[in-house]
Amino acid sequence: MQVKVLFFGVLSEVAGTDCRHYMEVKSINDLKSRIIDEFPEIAHYNYRISLNSEIISSDRLLNENDEIALMPPFAGG
Amino acid sequence: MGRNLLIHGPIPGSSILSLLDEMGMKSDSGGHSLFVGQVRADEIEGKVVSAIEYSAYEGMVQAEANKIIQSILAEFDDVRSVDFFHSTGIVKAGGISLLVLVSAGHRKQAIEACSKTVELIKERLPVWKKEIYEDNSHSWK
Repeated sequence: MQVKVLFFGVLSEVAGTDCRHYMEVKSINDLKSRIIDEFPEIAHYNYRISLNSEIISSDRLLNENDEIALMPPFAGG
Repeated sequence: MGRNLLIHGPIPGSSILSLLDEMGMKSDSGGHSLFVGQVRADEIEGKVVSAIEYSAYEGMVQAEANKIIQSILAEFDDVRSVDFFHSTGIVKAGGISLLVLVSAGHRKQAIEACSKTVELIKERLPVWKKEIYEDNSHSWK
């Protein structure tokens, strides 16, 4: 089971990439732990999470090929 | 809104002229309000902004744009149409990065809805910006 994670804004710089794939993750919380283990500095940033382009505020189970994005506050305009 | 709202690099001034030409075809509208956002050469802690690099979540941006437009149409009953364009990639200081056009039956709602659209774009559109300074250092906004 593989999911795709997108890092936006400053988080792409912290992670050193704008896209990474993670294997065998069951849930959003599971994934967050994996990401923080790998990039501890991300824990210091404010960000929201989307699952398949919908912003979510609670834990969700993940499915094959889900796309998760870590999004710092928007700054368009 | 059928066209792609993301434009790579600065939004050309000719886009404004195209929009003005399209206005002529909207004979049901009596007022159009246009907002043009430009990259400002701010000076921050002694460093001058030379450009902004915009990035967007392209898979999400169109759906959020549609929600913004529907929200404006629901709030302002005199508004006939809402169009906007946003840059991605690098826009040098002085370049246009945002264009918003709202058409309405009368001027009051055209102006108010255009202002509200700009606020919603800043609040909801999944876009990020990196300020690049003249010494090539940068900071995220």
